[in-house]
Amino acid sequence: MIVTVTLNPAFDHLLLLSQLSPGRMNRTKSTQRMPGGKGINVASALSVLGEEVIATGLLGGLTCQRFEEELRRRGISTSFVYTDQELRTDFYVIEEGKAQQTMVIEDGTPVDNRYVNNFVSNFERLLTQADIVEIGGSLPSGIDPGFVRELVLKAVKAGKKVVLDLLEPILKECVDIPGLFIVKPDVREKKVLFGKELGSPEVRLGLAREMQKSGAEVVILNYRKLHYLVAAGGEFYEGGIEAEQSGVLIGVQDGMLAGFMHSYLKSGNIEDAFKYALAAALATERSKVNYPTSGQDIERLLPSCKVRKVN
Amino acid sequence: MKKVKDFISRDLTSVTENTPLRDVAEILSWRGLSGVPVVNGSNEVIGFISEKDIITSLFPEQVKIENPDMIRMDNLSQLIKKLNTVGEALVQDYMNKNIICASEETPIADIAGIMLRKDIKRLPVLRDKRLVGVVDRSSLTRALIETGSLE
Repeated sequence: MIVTVTLNPAFDHLLLLSQLSPGRMNRTKSTQRMPGGKGINVASALSVLGEEVIATGLLGGLTCQRFEEELRRRGISTSFVYTDQELRTDFYVIEEGKAQQTMVIEDGTPVDNRYVNNFVSNFERLLTQADIVEIGGSLPSGIDPGFVRELVLKAVKAGKKVVLDLLEPILKECVDIPGLFIVKPDVREKKVLFGKELGSPEVRLGLAREMQKSGAEVVILNYRKLHYLVAAGGEFYEGGIEAEQSGVLIGVQDGMLAGFMHSYLKSGNIEDAFKYALAAALATERSKVNYPTSGQDIERLLPSCKVRKVN
Repeated sequence: MKKVKDFISRDLTSVTENTPLRDVAEILSWRGLSGVPVVNGSNEVIGFISEKDIITSLFPEQVKIENPDMIRMDNLSQLIKKLNTVGEALVQDYMNKNIICASEETPIADIAGIMLRKDIKRLPVLRDKRLVGVVDRSSLTRALIETGSLE
């Protein structure tokens, strides 16, 4: 059983149009609204791949029922803690033919401590049935990054495999914890981690080594758009995929992580898992939603995904 | 033969014995639910708490003379205010411990019959004592409309 934690989920609202004209009225060609957030996307991809997944986190407002129903339709079990705050919406303006998306992200409102405490209690109960805990995404305003460290320590102490897909300020609080399973820093556009440019092969190899020394079994570094370094057991691989011109990139990074988790858990083979992860990322991009919609799509794309060993 | 797993809603919303009734009322009101399973520290189901149980705790005398089913969900949110006046009463004092549960492999026709006879709106579904979802009357009704049969 895999438990995914998304403390700051949101609806992903896609606005597809020919071209965005700032400061003027823009009319969409089509729109799409779907549950999102890093842990949610990972849960969706894992569920498609046949894994049993429970999604947890903080959820509130009038639209949360629709949010959960859609997740359950995707085959995910839901165990959220409800708050008195409205669920966020993240807007993605997709300009067709430009391979460009503009994001407007809602920050969210502070969450009362009562609900945060209820979440911890629910998380502890879920740990009794979890084999793996994946924590991803941002935090609602007012929640300290140290809170995630507490969750990670609880999961590690309970003997669970922990997967982290976190922004640097949150990751910094957790990366020294021994016994982490997979660490994938969420570096977004800038591709800089702990003040170091991931574009340099030496730098990213050095960072991966350091993070492994701290105790991470697998480190995944995203050093260019959809290009990655994967480090595990003293081996290092690099590989990547090219996005389609009109590609929707929402959830692609999460599809990659879910694909890696699914394959690595089955085979323990880093090279095969990495190729599968790239195929899952590609399938996510082509699905036009925030997760790959079928395992067959991934299998079909697998032969086109290449990785190479590096030192 | 159709089974519970074909109709299950994988909603694991639950509370514990130590959850204040105020929190339960919030969950039921916000989510529009009639009740939620009560679990222990290992997520094993040990009871169920419903809107009826909460209303009984607030207006024990009235409930004796009125049909609690007539108290609608939109009234419940107003009752949350009243809950503050009864303090931090806990689920353990009002939950129903004698509950009927199903497994994923139980024939759905059997469960539908029990739900109708016993006037049960939501029923926990367990695997190894742990909650894996619920079946509720609305999913059964939807399935009946869509397929015309529970067999």
